[in-house]
Amino acid sequence: MNGLLTLLVLLPLAGFLVNGLFGRRLGPAFVNIVGVGLPLAAFAVAVWAWRILEAGGGEPLIETVFTWALVGEHVFEVSFYLDRLSAVMALIVTGVGALIHIYSIGYMKGDESYARYFAYLNLFLFFMLLLVLGRSLLVLFVGWEGVGLASYLLIGFWFQDVDKARAGRKAFITNRVGDAGFLLGMFLIFTTVGTLEMDQINQAFAGGLIPVGIATAAGILLFIGATGKSAQIPLHVWLPDAMAGPTPVSALIHAATMVTAGIYLVARMSGVYLEAPAASTLIAVIGLLTAFLAATIALVQTDIKKVLAYSTISQLGFMFLALGVGAYAVAVFHLFTHAFFKAALFLGAGSVIHALNGEQDIRRMGGLAHRIPWTSGTFLVATAAIAGLPPLAGFFSKDEILWFALASGQGGSFWFWLLGSVTAFLTALYMFRLYWLVFLGRSRMAPEVAAHVHESPWPMTSVLVVLALFSVVAGWFALPQYLAPLLPAPDLRFAWPILHWGLIVFAVLVAVAGLVAAGVLYGDGGRRAEAIERRFARLYRVLAGKYFVDEIYERLLQRPWRWISDRVFLRLGDRILLDGSLHGLAALARRGAGVLVRIETGSLHWYAWMILLGLVAVLIWVWRYV
Amino acid sequence: MTIETVFLLVFALGALTGAVAMFFLRHPMRVALALIGTMVSLAAIYAQLGMHVIAVFQVLIYVGAVMVFMIYAIMLLDVRDRSFTERFSPLLVAGLAGLLLLVGVLVDGLLRGQPFAAVDVPPEAFSVGTFAIVFMEQFWVYFALTAVLLLVAEIAASAVIDIRRRGQDVAAAQAERGNERG
Amino acid sequence: MDDTTFLLALSGMLFALGLVGVIVRRNLLVTLMFLELMLNGVILSLVVFTQLLGAEAGAVLVLLVFVVAAAEIAIAVPILLLLVRAGHTLDPGAYAGLKG
Repeated sequence: MNGLLTLLVLLPLAGFLVNGLFGRRLGPAFVNIVGVGLPLAAFAVAVWAWRILEAGGGEPLIETVFTWALVGEHVFEVSFYLDRLSAVMALIVTGVGALIHIYSIGYMKGDESYARYFAYLNLFLFFMLLLVLGRSLLVLFVGWEGVGLASYLLIGFWFQDVDKARAGRKAFITNRVGDAGFLLGMFLIFTTVGTLEMDQINQAFAGGLIPVGIATAAGILLFIGATGKSAQIPLHVWLPDAMAGPTPVSALIHAATMVTAGIYLVARMSGVYLEAPAASTLIAVIGLLTAFLAATIALVQTDIKKVLAYSTISQLGFMFLALGVGAYAVAVFHLFTHAFFKAALFLGAGSVIHALNGEQDIRRMGGLAHRIPWTSGTFLVATAAIAGLPPLAGFFSKDEILWFALASGQGGSFWFWLLGSVTAFLTALYMFRLYWLVFLGRSRMAPEVAAHVHESPWPMTSVLVVLALFSVVAGWFALPQYLAPLLPAPDLRFAWPILHWGLIVFAVLVAVAGLVAAGVLYGDGGRRAEAIERRFARLYRVLAGKYFVDEIYERLLQRPWRWISDRVFLRLGDRILLDGSLHGLAALARRGAGVLVRIETGSLHWYAWMILLGLVAVLIWVWRYV
Repeated sequence: MTIETVFLLVFALGALTGAVAMFFLRHPMRVALALIGTMVSLAAIYAQLGMHVIAVFQVLIYVGAVMVFMIYAIMLLDVRDRSFTERFSPLLVAGLAGLLLLVGVLVDGLLRGQPFAAVDVPPEAFSVGTFAIVFMEQFWVYFALTAVLLLVAEIAASAVIDIRRRGQDVAAAQAERGNERG
Repeated sequence: MDDTTFLLALSGMLFALGLVGVIVRRNLLVTLMFLELMLNGVILSLVVFTQLLGAEAGAVLVLLVFVVAAAEIAIAVPILLLLVRAGHTLDPGAYAGLKG
């Protein structure tokens, strides 16, 4: 059916417009129907489109909406492209998105700007769908920028608080830095290939006629954009601050969908990266480093949402590791499973915060397992999933990543696998640490908070159950095989099945070891952990300070930039040059007038003499030069 | 050197003398008389050129009306003020320099010019009869218009003077009343 | 130099003297008279050309100029009288109110 993809994209946009313009006046019930109903409808349309895709044997659906621009011989169209990869992304976006919209009914109840929240959330869905369904890099970039905008609006949703507003601004600006790289990459690709349609770009690069240097440069530039959007080193600094936004926002945007845009971009542009091994290695290295360092930071965080934020950064690093060694489909698989259990974790955290009336410090929690059973149960399931315990979802996807990190013929190495495994151990450790400190042990809550602990309303808990369910079963969908026609698995360095099974067993042991270690260290309310912290005080300070990256940026980048803005642009450029030139012109006119006014003496004799001079001049001119 | 040329020279000299004398005479009445001398010399030149009608009109209108009017004005005004003791303005030197400049340019332009082609002039061209016929045929509109405009100007002038006088009367009456009270 | 050129030179001289007289003399009445001198210089050149070309209409035009000159004096002198009555002097320097 023609126009299906366009309908899919436009449904959330309609929600944004209606709720944005009329929601405030028409009340929460109306906002709910529009703001949640439309994403659910979008999910239904996505499923329908997927059925059509499958019916056509995986042949991509292409829908051209309109021609944006004609420049010389180049045509820039807005068209949508549905193949298996974008179908998976679209289903995640609309499915998890719709669930989170339902959750938000409970979480945001009674908020002053209820309609604005749902309007922004729908706006985000619209842009994200543009991003994953766009055929050309241009449409993708529009969606890319748009989700950045929606993220800014939603992080700073309670903008009356200056810190929250600042967090939104930080996210947007950091993203923009990455986008500069993205744009340069787009320009490079356009001048090389002559088009921005992604399927045609992949074909052109696969043809092998494009020099490796250009592919590497384009790959690196596009990856810079991905580091901004997907919070990898060095542009990861915005994601922890983004926790200032409402928790459902953190779940949707900063766990399940927007931050995965970078993964999607690299996977989509696999044609380029297959021709640029240097760029791929860079991606793998940065991904792995980010994963490891973020995991170490998560170990010592005391805010429940910050732990999950760094966990997200770490898991994204894993996905980039997979991309870097050529296992594109596996990265998307981990994206898929991660969406479910990370959303479940964030929403569970939101449920905890809701139950504790706004408390977010895990040092003041504990003993909640019996009092909020639904939240606790789903949180446990999701934690086990992310730790990689079989047969839950995370086990399958993470294990595949570690296998290819070791065995991929396109850059796999032992050191990748080793550091990756260490990180997996840390993941299990900090996640179970979180579970223990929040839900188990003796209560460390403040008394008045403890008295009012209550389970969340059904819109919230039902979504938690659904997401926990998917965290269990999502790994059983053989996504890499499903995507293999599009994104084939890389060749292996050594094909010993025994090695693969050994690795799987080792990975399970690592996860269990993390669980046990967490129990040991944090089981009694964290006293043993505190003892270790005191022994390694300096290391602890570095980790708690997030390796002081923000402070380094402040010193190296922001202070000089502020100096330049003040001294060069404000004082020199604006005041002296611009204002000065305008004032100078005015002063020139004034002074010129001051000089010329001396001719007006008011004296009759003088005027007559001026007439004589003028007459002489005219006569000379007429009689000699005419 | 024909007699006509001599006449022209003599009266031209007269005109120039009058003009130059106007510069140095102190009393405006004497300046007026010098100007009259210049005008009469010019009338003589016109007559010598054969345009008797014009010559007569020059004397009648210019000397007889314009200059007489000016002499009335001189008589009405007390002329013995600063302009009497100091004849020349501050721009005397500048003015004289300008004079030399202007004369130089004019002479230069004149000398560059081509000699004039002589035209056959019928003898009756500038007689009164021809004048009258041309006057009535071609120029009567302009003269009529001029007459109307002069009439309008005259009425306007009297109106202005009347308003002024009335205004001054009112002001004088108010001043008197003020004096009586005070 | 023939007659015509000589008379035109005279006309130019009278005009120049008239203009310079306006610049140089410090009495408003005398200024008016010098303006009349300028006008006479121009009329002289008009008459010369009329005679040269034999144009009968030129003579009537000269008459028209006389009439306009008379009208002009008729206006200018009363204005002068009113001005002097208000300013109490014939020196143009005293009437520099439009300075600047």
